[in-house]
Parts: sequence; C-alpha cells; structure tokens
Amino acid sequence: MNRIQNKILSLTGIVLFIMAAIWMTLTYYSRQTQEQYNAILQRYLRMNEVTGASQQTITDLNNYLIRPTPENLDQLERSKERLRQAKYDVHALRNGDNDFDLTSYTNLIDSLLEAVGRALMFQSQMVTNDSNEAFNEATRISRSISDMTLTLLDTELKTYDRFYRGIIERSTELNRLGIWLHATITFLLLLFAYWFALSITRPVQKLTQAAKELSRGHFDRKIEVSSNDEIAFLAKMFERMRLSINNLITEIQQKAQLEHELQQNKLLLQESRYRSLQSQIHPHFLFNTLDTLSKKAYLEGAGETSDLLASVAGLLRYSLRRMDRSVTLYEEVRVLRQYMDIQSARFADRLRFVEEIDDSCLYVQIPGLTLQPIVENAVIHAVEPMEDGGTITFRVAEDGDRIRVEIADDGPGMPEEKVAQILKGSAQETAGHTTGIGIGNVVQRLRLFYGQDDVIDIGSRPGAGTKVVLRLPKVRRNDADDQRTDRG
Amino acid sequence: MRKTIVILLGIIGAVLIWFTSVSAYKVFRADWRLPQTPLRQSAEYRLVLITRELETPFWDKVASGAREEAAKHGAMLEVWGSYNNDSDEFLKKLEIAIHSRMDGIIVQGLDTDAFKELVKYKAASYGIPVITVANDVPDSLRRTYVGSDQFRAGQMIARQLAEDMGPEGTVILLRDSGNAHFQEQRLDGIRSVLESYPGIRLQYAETQGTRERVIAAMQDLMNRSPEVQAFIAANANLTAAMVQEIGRRSRVQPYHIYSFDDSPDMQTLLREGLIDGIIEQSPEAMGRIATALMTDWLKGDRLPLDSNGYHTEIRLRKADDAR
Repeated sequence: MNRIQNKILSLTGIVLFIMAAIWMTLTYYSRQTQEQYNAILQRYLRMNEVTGASQQTITDLNNYLIRPTPENLDQLERSKERLRQAKYDVHALRNGDNDFDLTSYTNLIDSLLEAVGRALMFQSQMVTNDSNEAFNEATRISRSISDMTLTLLDTELKTYDRFYRGIIERSTELNRLGIWLHATITFLLLLFAYWFALSITRPVQKLTQAAKELSRGHFDRKIEVSSNDEIAFLAKMFERMRLSINNLITEIQQKAQLEHELQQNKLLLQESRYRSLQSQIHPHFLFNTLDTLSKKAYLEGAGETSDLLASVAGLLRYSLRRMDRSVTLYEEVRVLRQYMDIQSARFADRLRFVEEIDDSCLYVQIPGLTLQPIVENAVIHAVEPMEDGGTITFRVAEDGDRIRVEIADDGPGMPEEKVAQILKGSAQETAGHTTGIGIGNVVQRLRLFYGQDDVIDIGSRPGAGTKVVLRLPKVRRNDADDQRTDRG
Repeated sequence: MRKTIVILLGIIGAVLIWFTSVSAYKVFRADWRLPQTPLRQSAEYRLVLITRELETPFWDKVASGAREEAAKHGAMLEVWGSYNNDSDEFLKKLEIAIHSRMDGIIVQGLDTDAFKELVKYKAASYGIPVITVANDVPDSLRRTYVGSDQFRAGQMIARQLAEDMGPEGTVILLRDSGNAHFQEQRLDGIRSVLESYPGIRLQYAETQGTRERVIAAMQDLMNRSPEVQAFIAANANLTAAMVQEIGRRSRVQPYHIYSFDDSPDMQTLLREGLIDGIIEQSPEAMGRIATALMTDWLKGDRLPLDSNGYHTEIRLRKADDAR
C-alpha cells in the first residue's frame, strides 16, 4: 500500500535531492571558478615576484657593496635564492605566445645573477671600479626585468583576453541561470505539490461525500475511491459498512412487511370465522323455517308452493355444503332442476328449459355447484333482459372417453375478447349470483379438479347466443380429493 | 477547460526547462583550464631584429622578409626597437637582447661608440653573433653586413644627377652630423663620380637630425649659394625638412633633388614630384638574407661569413616613373 506517510517522505526526498543536486553543482562550479582565478592570479603573482626578487637582490647587493658585512652577504644570498626560485616558478608559465619573451626573461635573470656574481667577485678583489660597473649593469638588467615583466603581463592579457571575457560572460550567465532555475523549480514544485495534495485530498473528499450521502440515508450508492492508500482502505471499510447497513435495513423492512401481512391475515381470519359462524347460524334457521313453511303450505293444500319452498330449501342446503367436495353429475343435475323450478316460477313462460340427458352418464364425478352458476349466468344474460325470454338447452351425452355437458342459450352472446377473459379467469364478476359463485370461479375449480385446461370451452358470438361445453373425463386423473371427508 | 490548463502548464514547463537547460549549457560548457597555446618545439633559435625606425614602410618590409625567412628555418624572430631614431632606447633594447642571451641579433647599425662597445664587448662576451642590416658599422666586429652597397648607391645617384643637370652647376650635399658609416660611403660614392666633372661644384652641409636644425642649415646654405641647382640628401631622414624649406623659398620643380629611400616620407615626396629621384633598396631581401645567414651561421652550415657584407639589389627610381 502506498501510504500517505510514504508519499510525504517521497516528496520531501525529491525536494531534498533537487536542492542537494543544485547545491553540489554550484559548489563544484564555484570551486572550479576559484581554482581558475587562483591559476590566473598565480601567473601574475609569479611574474611580479620576479620583479620584486630582482629589485630586492639589487638593494641587497647595494647594501653589501656599501657595507660588506656577513649579515648583508647572507641577506644577498637569500634574495638571490628567492630570485632563482622565482625564475624556476616563472618557467612553468611558458606557452606558445610568451615562449620567446619568457626565455629572454629567464636569461635576463641569469644575466642578473651573473652580474651580481661579478660585482661580488670584483668587490672581493678590491677592484672597486669594475665592481661598480658590474653593479650598474645589474641595475640596468633589473630595470629590464621590470620592463619585461610588464611586456609579459601585457602578452598575458592579450593571450587570455578572450578567456577572461569568457569568465565574465559566464558569471553573468550564471546569474541568469539562477533566475531560470529558480523559476523552473518553483513551477515544478508547485505543480508537484498540487498533484500530491490532490492525491490525498481527492479520496478524502470522495469519502466525505459518501459519508454525507450515508447520513442522508442514501445507502444504495457505491463508495468508490481509486487511490491506493489509507483513505482507500477507509473507503473499503466504509463500503462494507454501507452494505451491512443496507442488508440490515432490507431485512428489517421485509420483517415489517411480513408482520403487517400477518396482522392483516389475522384480522381477515377473525372476520371470516365470524362470517362463517354467522352464515352457519342463519341457514339452519332458514332451512327449518322453509321446511316448516313447506309443510304448512302442503297441509293447507297449496302443493305448488310447498314444492317451491322445498326446492329453495334444497338449493340452499346444497349451496351451503363445502365447495371443494366432489359430487356426482346426477346430484348436480338434481340441484339444477330445483333451481330451474324456482326460476320457472319466476319467469313463467319467458323461460324455456330443454333437457336432453343421457342418464347413463350421470355417475361421473364433478365439483359441487358447477352447473348451477353456468345456467344462472345464462338466465341472467340471456333470459332476464329479453322481453320474450329465452331458451336454455341442457345436454348431457357421452363423447368418447368423456362426458359432454352442454349448456346453450339463445341470448345476445358476447364478443370473443370477453370469452377469452372468462377462460383466463380475469373477467369481472357480475353481481347477483344466488350462490355467490361466478363463472370465473367455476372455470378455475373445474381446471383444478381435473388437472386439465381443456375441460371447459365457451363458444359465443354477438347475436348468436352462448354455448358452454364441459368435457368431463370419465375417470379422474387424481381421485385423491374424493377421500376427503365432508365436515359440512 | 481542464485540458487547456494542462496544455498551458505543459507549455510553461517546457519553456522554463528549455531556457534553464540552455543557460546551464552555456554556464557549464566552458573549459576550466587556461587555454594553452602550443609550444613550437621546432624553434631552435631565438633571433631578434632591432631597429631605430619601427613601423616605417622600409623597416616593416625588412621585418616581414626576416619573419618569413625565420619561419622557413624554424627560428623564432622578434622585432624590437625604438621609434623616430631614438638611439638611447635602441641601445637599451640591444643591451636587453644581449642580456637575455638571444641566439642571434640582427641590428640596424648605429655608428656610435656605445653601439660599438655593446657589439664588440658585450655581445662577444655572451657569444652572440650580430649581423648589421641596412646600415653598416664595419669596425664593430659584427659578423657581417647585409644591405645595399652604399658606395655604389652614391655613384648611381651622382651619375643620374650629372645626367639630369649637365656637367656644370652647384650641388649641395646635405649630411647628418653623425658621420655614420653608410653616409660616408654614400658621399664617397657621389664624390668618386662627380670628381670627373670639373664643372660641378660640391657644397657640403652638415646638420643634426632635428627638423629645426635642418631648416636652419638649409636657410643658411641657400642664402650663401643662391645659384644652387641640385640637392642630394645623403641621409634620407633629412629630405622631408629640406624639401619643405626649399618649397618655402621658391618653386621646387627647377631644382634637382635626390635622396635615398630609407625614410618613411620618401615615397610620398617622390610621388608628388617634389624630388627627382631616389635610390630604392631591397628591404625585404635584406631581412631575408640576414636571417638566412644568421641561421646558417648558427647551424654551422656557412663558416665563416664574409665580413665585407652581402649586398642587396639597388635601383634608381625617378619621379617620372613613380607618377
């Protein structure tokens, strides 16, 4: 991991390195310059030294000639030695331009030393005239040496003129370099520091943003930090926390929903229990009353009324049985007839009911209250709205390995879409069913009961009546339902 | 926006780095050591040419001839000297040359005791060969002389004079009071020719080298001999002042004026027609031959040198030719 500490250290390191490099370069440069200056000065000083030494020699010689003491002689010897040393030093300054002059120069020094020697020799031999002559010559030579020094210095200046100018130019250039270097380094460091600061603050900013989002309750946004340091680690942890919180919240929400549903279901259950209790109380009372009414009507000689009441009671009893229990087709037909009796009493001539029943087919099992809702549907849509009433035809016949049950009317029919809706089970139930069971319910139950989709079919066209055809298998694929006990 | 800033920063950075590196290159490019002009190892001999008339056309030619020859022989040659016939400075230079032990000294002869002293004793004691050039000093024990045969030069000028002027007339011979050897030679030469013309009268005028003296002497002479027809300056350095003085009195043209070429004014005077003829010497040849003889002698190729001297070519140049 590229840690922030490392980043800071590396920045500091780079800055230090640059500074050290510049410092070392400049130190090296100034040392070189110094050496160069020294070398130049050395040359001038050495040449000047010759002049000084030669003049000193003359002075000492003069002193000795005037007062020949051993001290003065010693002094003279020392200055002669100094002159020799100077000559040796100046010999090293030879180059192509001053070769000629320098040779003359060293020769002049030799001549001077010789003249000095001669003066000393004549002095020791007490030949004062010659000694003076030699001294004069030495003086002249010394003066020539001074002149020659000037000539040599002049040559030196001419030889190194361009070099000296180069040095001056370089020093001005150095100042300029200082300014440029300063500008460049400032620029680069600013850039680098900005970049560096950004690499630290940008992840922090992202993290801050993410934290703000979290605090606002937006737990669904991913936290992404692309850097490679502690902040990234922090962000990763943060992200994990966010996910955990998110999961917890989802869980809590689900639980709350479940709780809510449970509560609702409980309420519904209570309600339905209450209803079922209610509905159990009233029917029994109603049966007994209807029975009593029937008997009463019979006893009073109103046979037809008695039969009607009996039919109503029968129908009521039948409808109160548990619907998931299967019955035989025979029973269904019986209930259907009772229902038709009641409807016939109501519609009189307007309702014409035609039965074509093959009795051998009535053994087949069928869910309870299947036919009655279909017929009732036909009565509601095909007979009730018509002024002239209508005919309902009910047929039961054998059809291969199935029993074909057909309920047809001659009413206004319905469009195909409606048919499809009914078959899909999504049609809106029209109210007003006696038993509270709509055609959609019937369709579903039939399909569930037989485990087949093609058990019911509806044929209808607008203006051409409706024909509902049930094709019941003679043997059910699954007879398990039959084993259920009736608790009704 | 961001892209623009990045590009801008990039350009600024590039410019800064460029100028910095250019500046750094200039600073660090330089060589740290002192430039060494290579030593000429082949230079065996150190020769010096000393004259009293530095930077005159005549001596410049001598110097250039000498330098050329020295380069050919691989010798180093320096030209020292004084200006405007400064004898003291000249002698000082000569002494320095001796003290600094040159291998050979080529010198414009100076017919004085001091010069002879230096050449005879000093130079000999240091074992330095001396060759006189242009002006000879025979009794100075110089090795040899390289230059014009001054006697013959005098003869040539005298013959020309006789031819131009005719066999009769008065001639003024202007001479420097130094009695220099070369001057005496010239006068001898002139005399040797004009002796055979009895009609030509010679008048001698002696003066010191300064301008005022020359003018004074000329005035005196022309006052005394108004019938003078010709002038000969035995020393070229006197000619300019002489011509000027003549020109002050009358027109210069009718006079026959002759001189020698070893003075810077001569070519101008000749071109302007103020003088009628000069003896032209061969300065370059002098320099060349002197140097060649010196190096040969030092190498031991040519022993001994002819102490009578080696004469270079001379010719007479008339004003008509120069114009």
